[in-house]
Amino acid sequence: MFEQFAAGARAAVASALSEATLRGDRRIGTEHLLLGVLHEPGAVRALGSDLESARAALDALDRSALAAVGIDVQGIERPPIPASPKRTPFTSGARAVLPRALTETRKAGSRRITPEHLLLALLDCEQPDPAAELMAQLGIDRTAVRERIRQTGA
Amino acid sequence: METGDLSERLRSHDPAVGLRAVGALRRLAEQVEAAAVARAREQGWSWEQIGDALGVSRQSVHAKYGK
Repeated sequence: MFEQFAAGARAAVASALSEATLRGDRRIGTEHLLLGVLHEPGAVRALGSDLESARAALDALDRSALAAVGIDVQGIERPPIPASPKRTPFTSGARAVLPRALTETRKAGSRRITPEHLLLALLDCEQPDPAAELMAQLGIDRTAVRERIRQTGA
Repeated sequence: METGDLSERLRSHDPAVGLRAVGALRRLAEQVEAAAVARAREQGWSWEQIGDALGVSRQSVHAKYGK
């Protein structure tokens, strides 16, 4: 299905992989796809939130998850984590995003999946999905995002 | 925090609290590992010594961190 991806969407998926590695995760999840999509300027405009804010929001979610089990990680050293020599598969949630993105592409009457189509598919994630948790943390208004994408005709 | 306090908290909460904490703990472990391995290498530890300390093979530590 990746042959239907436009260059921006391919780049977003490649960025999702590096975001997963950077965080020390072993699978590409929907939250990494969202970060990956935010490497593309059109998606940043549509979402109204940038990569740095999204990374910081994920860190904040981790800090509060750890605080819930009594671990305080304020000021801890955060070294870069080396890429795993093993392959990094998609989570089932992330795999499910891809056919939804294709549906968005068809609805828009386009031939290729763009980062905006991936973003539209991610907007349909419901909590406790990690991308949904991340968008809630960022205070994303999903209806407004869909509207902005529709207006730009992506 | 007391241990009893923690187990109480994990029991009384929504399962999402424990599940999210596990994900965050794994990421934290990766970060602590990366920092500790870098420091050990600076101080002259061999890959074998680091592998033994982590309970994994010398090859797997070297494949991950050796460059």
